[in-house]
Amino acid sequence: MASGSSYHTVAAGGTSTVVPRPQGSSWASIVSGQPSRPRIPSSTPTGLRSQRNGSYANLSDLGSQSGRYYNTALSNAFNTHSKLSRLPVSLPSYLEDSLYAEKLDSARDLSWSSGVPSRSASLASFGPHAAQSRGTGMKLDVKDTISSPDDDLPTPLPTKWNENDKSGGVEVSQDGLNVQFLAATGPTKVNEYDSASVRADHFIPRSCGVYYFEVTIMNKSREGLISIGFCGADVQLNRLPGWEPNSWGYHGDDGKSFCCSGMGKAYGPQFNSKDVIGCGINFRTHTAFFTRNGQMLGTAFRDLPNDRKIFPAVGMKKPGEHIRVNFGQEEFSYDIDGYTKAERKSALQEISDTVVESLCPPYDEEALIQSLVSSYLQHDGFVETAKAFALDLQAEKDALSQSGKSKPLELMEDENAVHRQNIRSAIFEGDIDRALELTQSHYPDVLERNEQINFRLRCRKFIEMMRQSAEATNGRKKSQPSTSKRRAFDAYGDDEDEDVDMDGEDSRSDMDVDDPADVTGPAVPDFDLLGKVLEYGRQLQEDFKDKPELQEEMEEVFSLFAYSNPMTSPMAHLLSEEGRGPVAEALNSAILVSLGKSSKAPLERIVQQTTILLRELGEEGGPASFVNLHHWIHNVECLPNS
Amino acid sequence: MSATVSTPAGTMPSSRDWEKKVDDVRPSKSDMNTMVMNYLIIGGYPSAAKKFAQEAGIQSQIDLTSIEKRNQICTSIHHGNIKSAIELINDFEPELLESHPSLHFALLRLQLIELIRVSMEDNDIGPALTFAQDYLAPRAPQYPEFLRDLEHTMALLCFPPDQLSPPLAKLLDPDMRKQVASLVNETILQSQEVFPEPKVKSLVRLRAWVEAKAAQSESERLRSIPHLDLGLVAPRGEFPEPSKL
Repeated sequence: MASGSSYHTVAAGGTSTVVPRPQGSSWASIVSGQPSRPRIPSSTPTGLRSQRNGSYANLSDLGSQSGRYYNTALSNAFNTHSKLSRLPVSLPSYLEDSLYAEKLDSARDLSWSSGVPSRSASLASFGPHAAQSRGTGMKLDVKDTISSPDDDLPTPLPTKWNENDKSGGVEVSQDGLNVQFLAATGPTKVNEYDSASVRADHFIPRSCGVYYFEVTIMNKSREGLISIGFCGADVQLNRLPGWEPNSWGYHGDDGKSFCCSGMGKAYGPQFNSKDVIGCGINFRTHTAFFTRNGQMLGTAFRDLPNDRKIFPAVGMKKPGEHIRVNFGQEEFSYDIDGYTKAERKSALQEISDTVVESLCPPYDEEALIQSLVSSYLQHDGFVETAKAFALDLQAEKDALSQSGKSKPLELMEDENAVHRQNIRSAIFEGDIDRALELTQSHYPDVLERNEQINFRLRCRKFIEMMRQSAEATNGRKKSQPSTSKRRAFDAYGDDEDEDVDMDGEDSRSDMDVDDPADVTGPAVPDFDLLGKVLEYGRQLQEDFKDKPELQEEMEEVFSLFAYSNPMTSPMAHLLSEEGRGPVAEALNSAILVSLGKSSKAPLERIVQQTTILLRELGEEGGPASFVNLHHWIHNVECLPNS
Repeated sequence: MSATVSTPAGTMPSSRDWEKKVDDVRPSKSDMNTMVMNYLIIGGYPSAAKKFAQEAGIQSQIDLTSIEKRNQICTSIHHGNIKSAIELINDFEPELLESHPSLHFALLRLQLIELIRVSMEDNDIGPALTFAQDYLAPRAPQYPEFLRDLEHTMALLCFPPDQLSPPLAKLLDPDMRKQVASLVNETILQSQEVFPEPKVKSLVRLRAWVEAKAAQSESERLRSIPHLDLGLVAPRGEFPEPSKL
C-alpha cells in the first residue's frame, strides 16, 4: 500500500481527524440544482476550481480539529505545485517539533495562500496552553504577492528504497519498502563475491535535527550478511554500507560497526530473523546510533561530516536475505520521541542561557522586552492597552524609586493611533462602511494606492452583507450589535433601509432561534436583502473586473450565493468573524506605511528575523533544527526547564 | 540543501536579499497576540491584560484574579512593604511559603534589609536586631546559604551608609526588591502550573542566540548575514526608557 496515507494515523494515535468533503463545489453545478436561487449576473465568472475550494474547506475543518494532520485530499492541492507535492503529507511524531516541520508548515501555507482569510484557524492552536491566551485566530495574510522562493522549500524525507539507485543484486518490492537479495541466476547474475546495496529515494534533511528509521530482518541467510546504515550519493552500491568511504553501517554477521573502512569495530549483537534494527542520525552532535528491538545500542559513529548529503542505505550479500524498512509510516519499536525530546531539551537549554544585552544596546533584557511589547501595542493600534501598560510600568517604577514619585511618563496622544484604533474596531464590528469612511477621510491615499486592500475591504463588506442576509434567513441569534447590522446597508442610502431591517426581524421571529443548523428546507431567503447583496456584488465585479489576479478570490466569495444556507455550506468559513482580523491588520499596515512607518512592529520583526536565521542555521543541523518557532510560541511543553 | 541552491556558487546574498527574505516571513497575528497576552498575564499587568483582551478580541478566559493578586503582592514588595506582601501571599496561596523555605527566607531577609534602611535614618538599630533574632536566626541553620546571607545582611549594620562596599550597597538597591518580587511571582505561577517565563523573553533570547550562532558559524553564507535591525527607535515618550533607576 502507499505509505503516505497511513502516516497521519500513526501521528494522530490511530484516528484520522479529516472529514471527507463531497465533490462538486463548483457553483455552476450547484446553482443549476437550486432553481430557487436568484439568478446570477451574467458578468459573474463561473466555473470555480472545485479542487481549490475543496482544499480550502478541508483546511478549515482541519484547522478547527487538529491543525497538524494532513490528509490525502490536501495533498491533491499540492499537485498544482509540483515541488510541494513531493513533500510528506504528515510527519512521524518525533519530527513534529522540528525546524523541518516548521518549514513544511510554512511552505504549505504559502502554497494555498491567496490572501483569503479563510484558513485563519488552521495554525492557531497547539498545545494545552494555546487555549488560555489565544487570539481570535487572526492570521496576517496581507502580502500582495505570494513569493515562495524555492530555496525555502524543505526537501522531501526518505519514503522508500529507490528502485533506480540500487545494485543489480537486490530486488525492491513494488511498495518500495522490501529489499531482497536475488539468487545468482538469470540475466542479472551477480558475481558471488559482490554485495548489493540500495539507497533511499531522498537524502536526509538536516533540519530534522534527528533522523531515524528502522529495518526489520524478514529473513536472513546463515551468515546474516546484512548491513544497515547510510551513505553519500556517489558511493558504489556493490559494496556493503560501511566498507566504502562516505558510508557507515552496522553489520549483522559479526555485529560490528563499519565507518568508511573494511575494518569494523565490535559494536552490538548479530542480527536474528525478525530483529528490528533502528538507525538514528543526530545532526546536532554529529553522531549516529543503532537500536535493536527497541533497545538503544549506544553511539556507533562520531564526527560525521556535516557538509554531505546522506541517504539511508541497506546492503546484503547472500541469497535469501530480505529486509523491510519503516521510514516512519508505521510505529517505531524504539522510543525515538523520547530520545528527540531529550535532545531538544539540551538544545533549548543552550538557547535559554543566552545573554541578551548585546542584542539592542542600550536596552537591557527587561527594558527591551517592555519596549517591544509597548511598541507592538502602539504599532498595531491597541491604544487603550498601550496606555494601561504604560501606567502599569509607571506604577512599578514609582514604587521602586526611592525618591518618591519619578517624573510621570509622558504619554503622547498620538491621534493617528486613535484613528487606526477606530478603524480597527469598525472592522472588528463588521462595520466596513465606517472603516472605509474613516480611512477615506484621514488617509485618503491609502485606499487608492493599495488596490488589494481596497478590494479586500469591499469583499469583506460583501461578506458582512451576506452574513446578515443569512442570519436574517436563518433567524439566527444576533451576534452583532444592531447598529453595525444596519450600517452594512447604509451604502445604498435609499429609503428602504428601515424596511430591510424590519423584514429581517420578521423572518427571524419565525424561526427556531436555538438551532440555525436545523433550518434548511423551509428557510425562505429574504430577496430584498439578497437583492442588495447581489447589487453590491455586481458593483464589486464591475470595479475590479480588469484585475485578473483578484478574480479567483472574488469567485470564491461570490460562490456564497450558491447555497441556500451559506452558514452551513462548505464555504461557511468565509463568513466567519475571524476573517475580520486579517483585513484589519492589512489596512493598519497600509496606513502605517503611508505614514512612513514600518509596516511591522519591532516584535514582529524579531519573529521574522528569527524565523529566517533559524532556517539558515537549521540547514547545518545544529541545535537550531530543534526549534519550531510556531510550536514554541504556542506550546509550553517544549520550552526548557519545563 | 536550500542553503546552497538559492544563490549561484560564489555569490553571497546581499544585505537587501536578507532583508527581503525577512520581509517575506508573515508572522501570524494570533501568534503575536498570544505572545503579548502571555506577557501581560505572566508579568502581572492587570489593567493592560484586561484592555488587551478587549482590544484584540481575545475571547478565552483569563484568570484576572491571579494577575491582580500577583500584581498587589509585587507592588507591596516594590514599595518595601514586605510584611503586607507576606500577608497577601498567605491569604492567596496559604501553602506557598511553607513549601518554599528559601523564598520565605528571601522575603524575611528583605524585610530585615528594609528595617535596616529605616534604622539608618532613625539611628535606632533596635527593631532590626529584634527582627533578625526573632525571625531569621532560627531559620538560618537550616541551610548554609541562609546563614551566609544573614551574616552578609547583618554586616550592613556595622558600616555607615556612605562607606558600604559595593556588594553591601547592592543589598540596599531597589533592584533587590525587584528580584524578590519576581521570584515570588514566578513561584506563584509555578504553583498554579503556569510556565513562568514569558514567551517574549524566550523569543528575545532565541533571537540573540541565532544571531550569535550565525556569526560563529563555519559557513561563509551564515557569517555574511548582516546585523538585522530590530527597528526599535525610541522617540521620547513613546517607549519606556531603559529601566535604569
